[in-house]
Amino acid sequence: MSLHQLIRPVVRSRIPTTTTTTTIPATASSCCLPPRRNYAMQTPGNPVMEIFNRRVKHLQKERAAQNVDESRKTDYLKDEVAMRLCERLLDIKRTFPQVLDLGANSCNIARALTTPLPDETSPTGTAEALAHRISHLTCIDTSAALLNRDLALPFNSSLPITRQVVPDLETLPYAANSFDAVLSSLSIHWINDLPSLLAQVNKILKPDAPFIAAMFGGDTLFELRTSLQLADLERRGGVSPHVSPLADVRDVGGLLNKAGFKMLTVDVEDIVVEFPDTFALMRDLQAMGEGNAILHREMAPLSREVLLANEAIYRALHMEDGARGVPATFRLIYMIGWKEGEGQAKPLERGSGQLNLKDILGGGDFEQK
Amino acid sequence: MPSTRTRPIEKFAKATAKCSAEAAAYGKCVVADYNAVHKDMCAREFMKLKDCFLAASKKV
Repeated sequence: MSLHQLIRPVVRSRIPTTTTTTTIPATASSCCLPPRRNYAMQTPGNPVMEIFNRRVKHLQKERAAQNVDESRKTDYLKDEVAMRLCERLLDIKRTFPQVLDLGANSCNIARALTTPLPDETSPTGTAEALAHRISHLTCIDTSAALLNRDLALPFNSSLPITRQVVPDLETLPYAANSFDAVLSSLSIHWINDLPSLLAQVNKILKPDAPFIAAMFGGDTLFELRTSLQLADLERRGGVSPHVSPLADVRDVGGLLNKAGFKMLTVDVEDIVVEFPDTFALMRDLQAMGEGNAILHREMAPLSREVLLANEAIYRALHMEDGARGVPATFRLIYMIGWKEGEGQAKPLERGSGQLNLKDILGGGDFEQK
Repeated sequence: MPSTRTRPIEKFAKATAKCSAEAAAYGKCVVADYNAVHKDMCAREFMKLKDCFLAASKKV
């Protein structure tokens, strides 16, 4: 695989390339000079790493959603993360007229927003759902089948939802300053060009509006990644990628910063799910629509030999003594970034501190014994 | 689409589950030196596992 295959100039703009037409003086063009040719040129943009095959990802989601029962059954992870993501909205004492759910899957965020929250102080034991603070939610995704899967469920009536199928999540079809918040749950780990997407999100947000997202990161499914590598190596003598490369926590802060977000909060959480065997894990991933969609992957399915070897190695390497099933780690990165706006709290200038933190917090020198 | 058909992978999983002793031996062999795995490093253990699996999958 050469570098040339990996990096290709992005050709995304629909604007036709303008050919520069220079008018040649009539005298010159009449006789002697050879005819001058002009070439249509396109200035190469920034090279973009293409990592994921968007068409494959789209198909996987469509197929997963066709089987409604299985797809709903395997929504446990997405529903849980959507709940945890929406809890973060509780800290923001505001109402949101227009909210965008970027990469909605089956509108898990809408479901989480309309679920009543537990509250010990109220007589019924539940507080009003977060949805009352949101006037309108726009859910976008690439897969129509997945997006419209739960169209008939009751949660749709408690929040005005617009479902919109977009051809590509990497180009957002919205005007600048059009949303009061952008939420995204377990979707943006399939984005090829994350810096560009984040910049677009920053653009479509109104000033001083938050972007709150959760994505799979770093060590997600490291058990499966390592055991498949070993199985591939031992059985076939080489490795093909089976688990996506994912952004690390360290990268996320930098990415948000680069996209122009202020007051960043990034935190990490591990959810470990136990499965009866590795086949159940892979089946669930498939039903979630989270199958492998790396561009330069081996197109054939895993061979039976590798599957068999993987099961044995996974158990030997990662199963804890006395556990009933095999663990699978999902590392979630939650991020909150605010678009710059007036009246927003800002960090003070560097070096403008008046007090020594040591005086307030106490603590001694390191040298003291 | 509720289907009554068992998916091939389910049969595969059932047959594999019957060979836990062989699987453990193979797993142990690979994991013992996982920094220097090469092709057919544990071929003998794997063939035992495979034979067991093939025998088990006939019964499933």
